Amino acid sequence: MSGKNDNPQSGQGRPLPKKEADLFKNVVKFYESKQYKKGLKNAETILKRFPNHGETLCMKGLIVHSLGNGDKKDDAALEKRQEAIDLVKKGLMMDMRSHVCWHVYGLLYRSTRDYPEAIKAYKQALRIDPENLQILRDLSLLQIQMRDLVGFRETRLKILTFRPNSKIHWLSYALGVHVCGDAEGAVRALDSYLDTLEEGSKEFERCFESSELALYKNRVLSEVTEEGDELAGVKKALVHLDEVKPVIVDRTGWLQAKLSYQLQLGMFDAAKETCHLLFERGCTEDHRIHGAYMCALLQCDRDTCLEVQKLKGTGTLASMRPLSDDERRTLIAAYERSNDETNNNLAASFPRSAAVKRIYLTLLAPDSEKFRLNIDSYCQKQISKGVPSLGSDLSSLYLMESNNRYVLANDPVDVKNHTVYKLLVELVDSYINSLGSKNTFPGDTTVCAPSTLLWAWYLRAVLHAHAAEYADGITLINKCIDHTPTGVDFYELKANLLEAGGDIQQAADVVDTGRDLDHQDRYINNQTTKTLLRAGREEDAKNRISMFARHEGNPEENLYDMQCTWFELELADSCRKKGQLGRSLRKYIDVIKHYEDYHEDQFDFHAYCVRKVTLRTYCEMLKFEDNIWGLPFYGHAAEEVIKIYLQIMDKPAQDDEEEPDYSKMTAAERKKAKNMARKKKKAQEKSETNGSAKKEEPAKGADNGNKKKVNKNHQVNQDPNGAELLALDPAEEAKKFAAILVRHAPQKISSWALQYDVSVRRGKMLMALQALYKMRNINSNSHELFARIVDFSERLMKSATAKDNASSEKVIATEFPKLMGNQSLADFIKSALNSIKADPLSSLPMRIAVSKAMMSSLPGKKEEALSLILDSKLACRGMDVESCREALEFVGSIEPGAKEQLKILVGARFPIVKDL
Amino acid sequence: MSNSLNVDIGTITADNVEQLKKINQACLLIAYAPSFYTDLVAKNSKDGTPLEVRQNLNKFAYWNGFAVGAICCKIEGIKDSPGRKRIYIMTLATLAPYRNRSIGSTLLSSILTYIQEHNTDAALKDVDEIMLHVQTSNEDAIRFYEKFGFEKGELVEGYYKRIDPPDCFVLSKKLR
Repeated sequence: MSGKNDNPQSGQGRPLPKKEADLFKNVVKFYESKQYKKGLKNAETILKRFPNHGETLCMKGLIVHSLGNGDKKDDAALEKRQEAIDLVKKGLMMDMRSHVCWHVYGLLYRSTRDYPEAIKAYKQALRIDPENLQILRDLSLLQIQMRDLVGFRETRLKILTFRPNSKIHWLSYALGVHVCGDAEGAVRALDSYLDTLEEGSKEFERCFESSELALYKNRVLSEVTEEGDELAGVKKALVHLDEVKPVIVDRTGWLQAKLSYQLQLGMFDAAKETCHLLFERGCTEDHRIHGAYMCALLQCDRDTCLEVQKLKGTGTLASMRPLSDDERRTLIAAYERSNDETNNNLAASFPRSAAVKRIYLTLLAPDSEKFRLNIDSYCQKQISKGVPSLGSDLSSLYLMESNNRYVLANDPVDVKNHTVYKLLVELVDSYINSLGSKNTFPGDTTVCAPSTLLWAWYLRAVLHAHAAEYADGITLINKCIDHTPTGVDFYELKANLLEAGGDIQQAADVVDTGRDLDHQDRYINNQTTKTLLRAGREEDAKNRISMFARHEGNPEENLYDMQCTWFELELADSCRKKGQLGRSLRKYIDVIKHYEDYHEDQFDFHAYCVRKVTLRTYCEMLKFEDNIWGLPFYGHAAEEVIKIYLQIMDKPAQDDEEEPDYSKMTAAERKKAKNMARKKKKAQEKSETNGSAKKEEPAKGADNGNKKKVNKNHQVNQDPNGAELLALDPAEEAKKFAAILVRHAPQKISSWALQYDVSVRRGKMLMALQALYKMRNINSNSHELFARIVDFSERLMKSATAKDNASSEKVIATEFPKLMGNQSLADFIKSALNSIKADPLSSLPMRIAVSKAMMSSLPGKKEEALSLILDSKLACRGMDVESCREALEFVGSIEPGAKEQLKILVGARFPIVKDL
Repeated sequence: MSNSLNVDIGTITADNVEQLKKINQACLLIAYAPSFYTDLVAKNSKDGTPLEVRQNLNKFAYWNGFAVGAICCKIEGIKDSPGRKRIYIMTLATLAPYRNRSIGSTLLSSILTYIQEHNTDAALKDVDEIMLHVQTSNEDAIRFYEKFGFEKGELVEGYYKRIDPPDCFVLSKKLR
């Protein structure tokens, strides 16, 4: 391109003649009203006379882009998009000093989600035309999307300065100040806006918008702190609530805010009043209000109140931490049903509330007679009604104390020893006896319906499942099926028992039988699909789920469009089990793509929410989007992606065992040798993992359009076997996802475990050490941690930390031994061995980890290592079919005879297990 | 009856016909061919009875959310009276634990009521009687139907091929 000199219209002296200038205005107008065809025509008319007019070229490009920007991914659309990019680039070259060109350039980047580049282009446009509102607005949207919070605030301030009489600009600016962390400034901005209104303005009337604005301001106000008074804002907010009461339409939200402030300020009597108002409004089933009510009754400190407010589901103070006897009494008085007519407690005021009745059970001491009586009548009532969820409802009573907090017992060993569990088993067994012989509950004369015995069996089967007694559970559930073969729930439970007991194939058949009973039951259809996938029967699974997906074509396409994450995760897991790494990688990455889309989706709300004044919800949405990478389904996908890439990294190492002995080299030699080994490894990986993918790789960036021609149109049909993904640098990819996990899911031990695994393979020993420390803070007794400490120590002995520098070696030399209690590796393993011997319930995974460590680092200890697993008699914690399979595999690798011995033990513990 | 169960009556459709199969398999001595079930809920049946009418002649009894009993009838021609028709009860079954709780009565009544209320409809206007076959040994069943005004008719010898005794009675009741 020869540049501006050929172009009489470029630069500043470029006004188009009147006729063309009018046409150009039309182009813009048509573009904005989405009449692309007309816009295109006008643009082409201008270009006929001035083929190099930059702004027109850009506008044409933008229109062409919009025309090709449908959902279609076919070749025509792709060609259109390429044409658009070329046009805009050419236009920009012709007229670098036009804000229009830069703006369009930015829009184009925005549409390809390259936000940093788009921001740059917008800023360039603003340099030429600093007061262009449209560009400022677009820039601010990108800034909040990218969480350039300060930039967002500044941009909104500029907009507000140019247009100070618009409500939206005021609110946006206040929001900008707020998200920057300056609550006080945000309140000032909102006040300034309210000051601009005249008295009697519509904004002061009781309506949705003024109500939302008032509650938003109230929330910001409560976040203000003053020196020496953390609660200054909360106090002001409480006063403010009463001031704005007349305009509030969200009365529940208003009361909830009030309740929170009152609790934080220790105004417990007032808080109780507020709770009662909320209950009367119909919030009796909201456990958070009950949690707050308990805090008020017990006059808890602020930290406890805040902690209780964050509980989820049916959690309350009573299930969060142990209660003293006095506390128990106070709460029981509030929740107990009494015959005293004058008693106006919750049970009397809300006799039909299920939550009040259920919470009462949590309050009673599990070993008391009162508890026994009440749980007895609760169970009888629910069994008579036939409530399938009764078992899982009751399982939230298996509370165990740990550091003055309750955790739920979920290991079968702990469940079986739990007072509540034992009592439930005793009660339900007595029901079954009595119902079976007389068809009445014990000590009762009322004859029950035939379904009562059925649900008693069902509950007993669920209790068996809690204790991992799968074969016993199946015996009972078979009775249920014989009794009422039309009950879908029984097939589902039987399948769950079979699956947990180790017979996945039969589980899939059974749940499929249940599904066949009711083709309109989507839930059981999904359960069937899931179980079939776990059984490795992909075709059957797709066949089932397609009954509820769109009918034509491959159901995978429709499920991808529906962002049906659970299905894709199960499919990916299924492929991974079969060793189809590429395909499973593709599915996991599809899930990750969905999360990127969820993140992208917030774009629509930046402008919309401010316009609708739903600012409280908007702020919550921003927080939610910030934490989206910490959500469980994302974590599942990302963790598996990392594991697959780690597997790919490790694979060549297995083929090539001649590792040079690094320990005898000098640092420089070592580095060289390692580098060479690494290069060799990489080359090998690429040729091994996917020869054809490698050939395709260079084509990817430059010639994307061509490649897609070969494939069908839908996303799921592009690279369905993940060849492109397998060809990526595994270390780089693994590192990328591990970094996301440790940042957004730092509370999960698995995030740090993977961070460790990735770091040691990349030779980043300091990062690996940090991951070990993080793991220890989460759970110092984790077998995952133990295995990695041993691994780290072994690595240190085998080779020094080649890629790190001397100073990090120093840190490792001082900090790492602390993790082993300053013992030698041998002593560290021995003390783990001793603590297992001291506790017969030590978990199976821990036994395997210690046993493995003994095999690798304590020569001559084979017998003792084996006995660690065999002597457990499999009556320890952490026992499930998966951990048993792992134990078998490990034991088999060192002593085939011992494996047979262990097999007998496993068979006795899980009689229905298949394919050991 | 004091200990009768208050069941709900529901339709048998292509989506839930497997439940009928389960009930019949659990209760009846005779195994019906798969085509018995598919014809019952097919859009177009072989005998030409519209689906809507068949759905009124084939019913589930629901207790506590589960189907625990079912009745299946069809319309057939009367051999010796050209143009005249009757309702034939093919199956009536209640799962064992739910018996003696009036569920069969509720099912049969629902059919009788339907026929009575629609006896001028095109499909039912030529129907004169309702009949069924009962194994001679099944006294409970005979008593049950007699309560509803059915009368014992001819003895058919060797009606059943695989069960003993192989003979049955015809029970029938005039509908007009």
